[in-house]
Amino acid sequence: MSTVEEAGHLPGLAAETIGRRIVAHRAWGETVAVALPELGGDQARALCDHIRARARDTLRGMETARIVAAIDRASACLLDRTHPLRRKAEALLPVVTGYDRETVRLGLTSTLKTFRRPQLLRFLAEDFSNPGMLDGFQPAVKGGLVRARGPDLLLHVWAGNVPALPLWSLVSGLLVKAGTVGKLASAEPLTAGWFAQAIAEADPALGECLAVTWWKGGEGGAEAVFLTQAECVMAYGGNDTLAALRAKVPITTRFLPHGHRIGFAMVAREALDSRRTGPLARLVAQDIVRYEQQGCYAPQMLFVERGGPTAPDEFARHLAHALAALASRHPRRRLDPGEAAALAAWRSAHEMRALDSDGRSGGATLLGDPTDPWSVVLLDDAVTLGPSGLNRSVTVVTVDDLATVPALVAPHRAYLQTAGIAAAPARLVAIADDLAGSGVTRITALGRMTAPEAGWHHDGRFSLLDLVTVTEIEASAEAAAEGFAPYAE
Amino acid sequence: MSRTETSQAEIVEALLAFIGRGSATDAEFEALALRLFVYQFTHNAPYRRFAQARGRTPLTVRRWRDIPAVPIKAFKDLTLSCCPPEEAERVFMTSGTTGSGRGRSYHPTLAVYDASMRAGFATRVMRGRDAIRMGILFPDETALPNSSLAHYLALAREHFGTPDSAVFVGPTGLDLDALLAALAEAEASGEPTALLGATYAFVPVLDALKERGRRFALPPGSFLFDTGGFKGQSREIEPDAFYDGLSAAFGVARESCLNMYGMTELSTQFYDDGNAVCPPVKSGPPWIRSRVVDPLTGADLPEGETGVLVHHDLAHFNSVSAILTEDAGVIVPGGFRLLGRVEGSASRGCSVAVAEFLAAAQG
Repeated sequence: MSTVEEAGHLPGLAAETIGRRIVAHRAWGETVAVALPELGGDQARALCDHIRARARDTLRGMETARIVAAIDRASACLLDRTHPLRRKAEALLPVVTGYDRETVRLGLTSTLKTFRRPQLLRFLAEDFSNPGMLDGFQPAVKGGLVRARGPDLLLHVWAGNVPALPLWSLVSGLLVKAGTVGKLASAEPLTAGWFAQAIAEADPALGECLAVTWWKGGEGGAEAVFLTQAECVMAYGGNDTLAALRAKVPITTRFLPHGHRIGFAMVAREALDSRRTGPLARLVAQDIVRYEQQGCYAPQMLFVERGGPTAPDEFARHLAHALAALASRHPRRRLDPGEAAALAAWRSAHEMRALDSDGRSGGATLLGDPTDPWSVVLLDDAVTLGPSGLNRSVTVVTVDDLATVPALVAPHRAYLQTAGIAAAPARLVAIADDLAGSGVTRITALGRMTAPEAGWHHDGRFSLLDLVTVTEIEASAEAAAEGFAPYAE
Repeated sequence: MSRTETSQAEIVEALLAFIGRGSATDAEFEALALRLFVYQFTHNAPYRRFAQARGRTPLTVRRWRDIPAVPIKAFKDLTLSCCPPEEAERVFMTSGTTGSGRGRSYHPTLAVYDASMRAGFATRVMRGRDAIRMGILFPDETALPNSSLAHYLALAREHFGTPDSAVFVGPTGLDLDALLAALAEAEASGEPTALLGATYAFVPVLDALKERGRRFALPPGSFLFDTGGFKGQSREIEPDAFYDGLSAAFGVARESCLNMYGMTELSTQFYDDGNAVCPPVKSGPPWIRSRVVDPLTGADLPEGETGVLVHHDLAHFNSVSAILTEDAGVIVPGGFRLLGRVEGSASRGCSVAVAEFLAAAQG
């Protein structure tokens, strides 16, 4: 083993008392051993008490501006390519997640850029008409005063191997002054801990209000403590995982699930002229290659409109070419048997359809060879939205009119989130309106699907508002208090 | 086609001779595999298109390992038959428990299937014994005419069962009382007995015995035979717990608990030499060979690496001999170990993968 990296951030617990589980990750010919923290039930309880007490004693009294400054400094550290944490991230994350070095480097920068001071202020302004209500009572529009408080103990249950994805919810919690415990994702167990360490370095008092740990899902002890102690649980994962978690969370605890999602893209005929086709195909290819479609925002299906100067099948060939070109700069990681099987099953299902002698359901063309690190399937007829085989596989669906797409995706409302669109302004808005009705919550340009902007509303929810509880002083109390003032007439 | 056309009768004759010899060299297997590839390529149009799409034709394929293997799902989507399907003497269909459609295998004659089954069963299950009293925990052929397992078990009973053998699954399900009476009788008589059936069919029997506090000590020479797994028909039991349970309930050592691995899309079955250790080494007769491949490229993996099993069954002559399964396995000396189904894995991140999507669509 070349390195053993201790994951997590556990203030208030003596380092030598913390049990560790060593997990080896292998990719790109290297091995990284990660020592995941494993706490006993008593340690979990002590950690919850510590975080809750610090949140009440110190975090509550901190101005939001101070928290913003600390997050800004932590992000600056991790954006600085000479900083030791950043160097560690660039060295270890490719091995742990399997993504190529360039993808990790670009992805880290792109995510961390959204956690600088201006972006954080925008984040606050998105959800709060007056972010001052996080610091104290503020006049309410309807009369009286209002104040917002985050939970004393907010538990994040992270999942997945997309680097730095947990930072979105971690930062949201801190901005509303929540005492925070995060559970690392087994598939990317490092970034959240490093970010917490960077926060602690930037503002030691804030670092005491934040813990990052791990436990084996479904195994008693610590898990039960964390799930019952938290005032609010924000959880990520597949529906089965979320259902199992929800069953263990008391009914009085706020449970905010973020399930898996499927993304798709749309290209209008007006975007398909000979000058624009190549660059557009490259942008779609970037969305597909970035994180190997493991992120919920990545496109798995592409609806391309007939009637433009470039036909949909020609666009599919441009896309295949762009994917092939990107493969040399961003090699695909080695797939495990399950992933290869999923991809093979998706390919062969289309292949069988293409071979069907009757040709009824034909019209499927496979571009690329099974040994290529990408796959494009071109369908001549409109079909409802469905997943691809992931890992750089995409279905290009030919449609006569993009206006039909909202109906094709609507059956899967529960899984919708991001749609990338290339269309003229009037159509963009018209189609977006129908997509919103079908359950789509985020619409981006092609090439930006995997990079949500600062202050985005994850799954259409208010990332900060969902976490807080408001206390209102109604106008009557405010007015009545006047009667008791020393200066009352 | 530059080669001489081979007729179905010639293929059947060659296969029956091959099976009759009981052993085969690598060259003999390869020669017949290539001959069958030509036959299937010529007469099975969807398979021909599949092979052509991979650039594999009788002109380019020189080794049996290069004969393209059809994904098992194709048996659902395509009519894979060299003879006109309506001329088939029998069509075996999968139970259709997973997903849409049922996989179909067309048999213009059952002569080869039956010869293959009998030779394998005699060698690996009977092991030199002529007949044994059988209790069968699966519906018979009249109830399930399209079930390859019902036919298989009927052959077993007909050719290797004593006259007092019986089927204990009728129109109303398992006849537990009759089964328990037969087992008690076997226990008392000292005559070896075999219980054969679907894996899941043993579960309610185990449960009933536990509930009644009843155990049997079947006479020496008895054996248990299960196949097919749980298929959602009963609760799932881990292999070690399952065979411990069988062993305890019937008084048969785990060495005498045999598992057959077969499928509708094959005409030959694999066996182990008991389940003292799970997963056991599986192997088949000389007319079936297995490879472990990368499912995406179809390329052979180095021995000892886990991949997806490809079975090449010469006896499955009318449809396609080479099939890409959805079973994970690893090649070991003497055969392969079966490591369960290859599940298309969930995404590693937060995107929906096919499995979760399908589960949601099916409610």
